[in-house]
Amino acid sequence: MIETMLVLFAPILGGFVYGLERITRARMQSRIGPPLLQPFYDFFKLMDKRPMMVHSLHALMGIMYFVAEWFAFAVLIFGNDLLIAVFFHVLAVLALVIGASSVRSAYSVLGALRELMHMISYEPIMVLLTIGFFLLTNSFNYRDILNYEGYPVLELPLVFFAFILTIPMMLQKSPFDVAEAHQEIIGGPEIEYSGPFYEAVYTAKWIEYIYVFFFVFLFGGSHYWLGILLVIFTFIFINLLDNSTARLDFRKMVKFSWVFLIPLITLNLVLIALWR
Amino acid sequence: MGFFSKFRKKSPWILHYNTGGCNGCDIEILASLAPKYDIERFGALNRGNPKQADILLVTGPVTKNCKDVLRRLYLEMPEPKVVVAMGACGHGGGVFRHLYHVENGVDNIIPVDVWIPGCAPRPEALIDGIVEAIEIWEKKSKEKEYPRNYDEEMRKNLGVDDD
Repeated sequence: MIETMLVLFAPILGGFVYGLERITRARMQSRIGPPLLQPFYDFFKLMDKRPMMVHSLHALMGIMYFVAEWFAFAVLIFGNDLLIAVFFHVLAVLALVIGASSVRSAYSVLGALRELMHMISYEPIMVLLTIGFFLLTNSFNYRDILNYEGYPVLELPLVFFAFILTIPMMLQKSPFDVAEAHQEIIGGPEIEYSGPFYEAVYTAKWIEYIYVFFFVFLFGGSHYWLGILLVIFTFIFINLLDNSTARLDFRKMVKFSWVFLIPLITLNLVLIALWR
Repeated sequence: MGFFSKFRKKSPWILHYNTGGCNGCDIEILASLAPKYDIERFGALNRGNPKQADILLVTGPVTKNCKDVLRRLYLEMPEPKVVVAMGACGHGGGVFRHLYHVENGVDNIIPVDVWIPGCAPRPEALIDGIVEAIEIWEKKSKEKEYPRNYDEEMRKNLGVDDD
């Protein structure tokens, strides 16, 4: 029952997380910030705009991004398989990339290429993360992980450390917001969307928040209080990192991921495999 | 006026474009985003993208070079939209009036809804102007709006047919 509710209300829950994030970001810059419901006000306002599309495939891919992102989260919850959910997430981001590279705008195409660089950076880490959970529980089912008696965050500390540094790549935060660089290529893949079609892309980002923080929650194992603490810690850490760092080059992002994070995770997995 | 029109005033997204002014107005615009005035309290964001913006905030006396850019930005914004001209230059050219390279104000190129006087206007005046722009914006419909003297010739020159 609670699973169905979580999947059905994922966009609404994600909207609250995004609203909370905007307030947190404002408070960190000693501003007051928008109200908590601000993302929903934006949502309703965008609903009222005149629909303008570049061409139909572009608009369709924007909506596909939203639908596929929601579907990836549903697969994560109902499909009982973390690995398949990770692959469905790839499909969702791919819809955005196809849409963005189908228009003539140089910023959009540049953003699509950078989005692919994002995928190269974070997808191996996601796959290795699920393998880490598999080594602990012998299952790709998230229910087995939530029934696991030990503390996954203590047994996979390097994986957790690498994962919280990967979240800025997945959620488009500084220092790794190269695809959505707002001052540089003004939104990247989402630049050509407007009105109701932009709304789909905007809402898909909210589901991405829920998707990512669900993975963080899994690190608590059967200790739900630990999972909630980890989610709160990660949320604050990500915002702190977002506010205090400048954007890096995409080469540095890929290099950081492949030279530093992936060997770190692999080391942790090898140690766990030897110890078991 | 449907259900969703009530939420317009809660999230005005601003597109800011300088058409060759002295940057005094632009500094005031950025000041109103900074902690002291913080217009994000009211949901206003400075978007750099015409396709997602609602309020076009123009400063400067439209020079001949950026005349067409201003028209394109106006055409790319989805309706309902409002235009706010900020500062003395935007009204009639200001100190640049009747020079060889200016168009003497924003209203000769695109229809302006709200004027914010001053050189440069204070952030309070800017926020006041935005509030008035929102009142006008709430009454607007989704009908297509065009720049001044819009015809087939201009359509061809701007290249909007190819998009």
